[in-house]
Amino acid sequence: MYRYTAFDRQFVHTRAAQFRDQLGRHLAGDLPDDDFRALRLQNGWYVQRHAPMLRVAVPYGELSSRQLHQLARIAREHDLQEAGTPAERGGFGHFTTRQNLQFNWIPLPQAADVMDLLADVDMHGIQTSGNCIRNITTDALAGIAADEHIDPRPYCEILRQWSTLHPEFAFLPRKFKIAVSGALEDRAATAWHDIGLNLRHGEDGAVGFQVRVGGGMGRTPVIGTVIGEFVPWQQILVFIEAVVRVYNLHGRRDNLYKARIKILVKAEGQRFTDAVNAEFAALLNDDALGAAQLIPQAEYDRVAASFTSPVDRALAESEAVESNLPQAFKRWLERNVHAHKLPGYRAVTLSLKRAGLPPGDVTADQMDGAATLAERYSQGELRVTHEQNLLLPWVAQKDLHALWLDAREGGFATPNIGLLTDMIACPGGDLCALANARSIPIAAAINERFDDLDMLHDIGDIDLHISGCINSCGHHHSGHIGILGVDKDGKEWYQVSVAGSDGSTLSGEAVPGKVIGPSFAADEVPDVLEAVIDTYRRERRAGERFIDTARRLGTPPFRVATDAVRGTTAASAARGAAVALPV
Amino acid sequence: MKFIDSHHDLWHRVSGEDGPKPDPDPQRDRLLTIEQWHAVRGYWPVGLNTGLALPNTADVVLLAADLPKLALIVLDFPKWTDGRAYSQARLLRSRLGYRGELRASGEVLVDMLPLLQRTGFDAARLRADQGEAAARRALGIFAGHYQADTLAPLPLFARQSA
Repeated sequence: MYRYTAFDRQFVHTRAAQFRDQLGRHLAGDLPDDDFRALRLQNGWYVQRHAPMLRVAVPYGELSSRQLHQLARIAREHDLQEAGTPAERGGFGHFTTRQNLQFNWIPLPQAADVMDLLADVDMHGIQTSGNCIRNITTDALAGIAADEHIDPRPYCEILRQWSTLHPEFAFLPRKFKIAVSGALEDRAATAWHDIGLNLRHGEDGAVGFQVRVGGGMGRTPVIGTVIGEFVPWQQILVFIEAVVRVYNLHGRRDNLYKARIKILVKAEGQRFTDAVNAEFAALLNDDALGAAQLIPQAEYDRVAASFTSPVDRALAESEAVESNLPQAFKRWLERNVHAHKLPGYRAVTLSLKRAGLPPGDVTADQMDGAATLAERYSQGELRVTHEQNLLLPWVAQKDLHALWLDAREGGFATPNIGLLTDMIACPGGDLCALANARSIPIAAAINERFDDLDMLHDIGDIDLHISGCINSCGHHHSGHIGILGVDKDGKEWYQVSVAGSDGSTLSGEAVPGKVIGPSFAADEVPDVLEAVIDTYRRERRAGERFIDTARRLGTPPFRVATDAVRGTTAASAARGAAVALPV
Repeated sequence: MKFIDSHHDLWHRVSGEDGPKPDPDPQRDRLLTIEQWHAVRGYWPVGLNTGLALPNTADVVLLAADLPKLALIVLDFPKWTDGRAYSQARLLRSRLGYRGELRASGEVLVDMLPLLQRTGFDAARLRADQGEAAARRALGIFAGHYQADTLAPLPLFARQSA
């Protein structure tokens, strides 16, 4: 993991002090809501349905056990309120698709104290919200993946530092998200980001980035366009600066829904690429600050030194899994344990998708539990995955059985990684002020319906993504099955799509899913999902996964099957969906 | 950073009855609009103390040849969360070598001061309800930053190895 320098440490403490001053002025009535909003957002503080929400940055998903213990302490001591149902009393966190952690119940007057607690463990909420460059995300298996050609983490950290409190880019037209991948398999959904970076080797072995720009979800799902096939790593800050400057000056600010860079890239086409290239050339050749941003080898080496392997040598691989081990353990090995580049080691996912808790949620005790597992089995290191689970990156193969027993004890061993119940879901209308519909009860109902592990394993690999509104925090566009909450006449409805892809090998080229028909009522969703799954199981060819069947068949058979299970919406659907139901 | 008191500002806009006069006479201490400037730039003498107020949509690179004639450029923040003028300022200073006064006007809040200073502004006219003392305090919070900026022309990694 990156080791903070004295400068880095002082910087986050100063940021916390600056926020304390701003909060104090706000609470004293000297900084009105309208002016305080952008300041608190750039420190991760939203005002949500019930209370403020804090989004804590977990840079590129790397977390130490010490940090996770501190997050548990924050959950226990600050994420609390007196009234409400047990789920409304707080004491838990929620991991997001962008590898961050959110708290939902911290009272605003305690906000500055929490920022100090975060700074004490080299953490912060800088730029986790607001119209600025957000936390940079990457592959949860960065540095350990068997299929990785270049470790993205040193570059992520250099980008983090460059983007942190960048004076020119704090007030962009809209939020700006960067994802980086360095492996064969894209586990960071790079094509769906404002900038997607893919590390690669040039012909002479030099390291550079393929640069995509203008991917995004929301109302207008767009796959990023490649505007640089190979930008040498030394120049990447300069190139990104060129992209963001063109966006800052020319992105739309008249319409919130057209303000993302994807709209500019689409509207301008080649002119956008030309403008970036011209700005890039001007920065390199004709600018007092441009060339200063070229990354020297010494800086790469300094940062990369933080990311050396915490284990110094490979261990012996044992070939056979003993046949007398329980079936449940074998299933866990199959689903939750992943290949590692170092012989004798494995990466292990701690599933945060289990009955009774919303996807990605962890209580304070569970945070401590996961941190303890990391100390015992993974060199004190964890990762947050894009799919809202935790991952232990340094588990010795010989420890797997012991870890499995402990993980079961802690409630982390559901062997469902990559399966239907390993769904991505946003917090939805229960907590989020933007949401049109709730996500958590939908996720819970699906969990309950598909609680048979044999069946889940028979259904096989599938990405189910649920968003409570078109902002798409639950990535419904990229789900093999996507569920989107929509609002009509003050009621919650759910639109279902199939055959979306995040761009991974399994899922195929990144593409938004296709809507199968008019929206469904909340109580129909489990039946609808079962109908979709049954259609797949009936129609699949030998060995065919859901995504391939869905792509081959298109939406018609799914529409027929799901219309057949309509209850409350049956009459409306028959009368003509466009009139009666939101599409 | 110079804080501008609008009651004691030496610069004067050139207005007629129907708004800005289309082609003002060359005189010192005039603050011209971009339209006025386009009308007079061909014959406007060098050395006259001249200011130009730009909207945040103006392409400052097109002004490169005019900069020696300008002693003041005023950049606008129509809303404080509209960050285009930061890019304009940074380009004027670091790309185009502008050395005159660079002033922020419009919705200028005290918490913007560090960003203004780091992108090349050296003067600010605060929004009426903002206090100068708080603005000065905001400038002193951070001891240093990661990026190169107009104040510190080398990024942290280059400063450390120097």
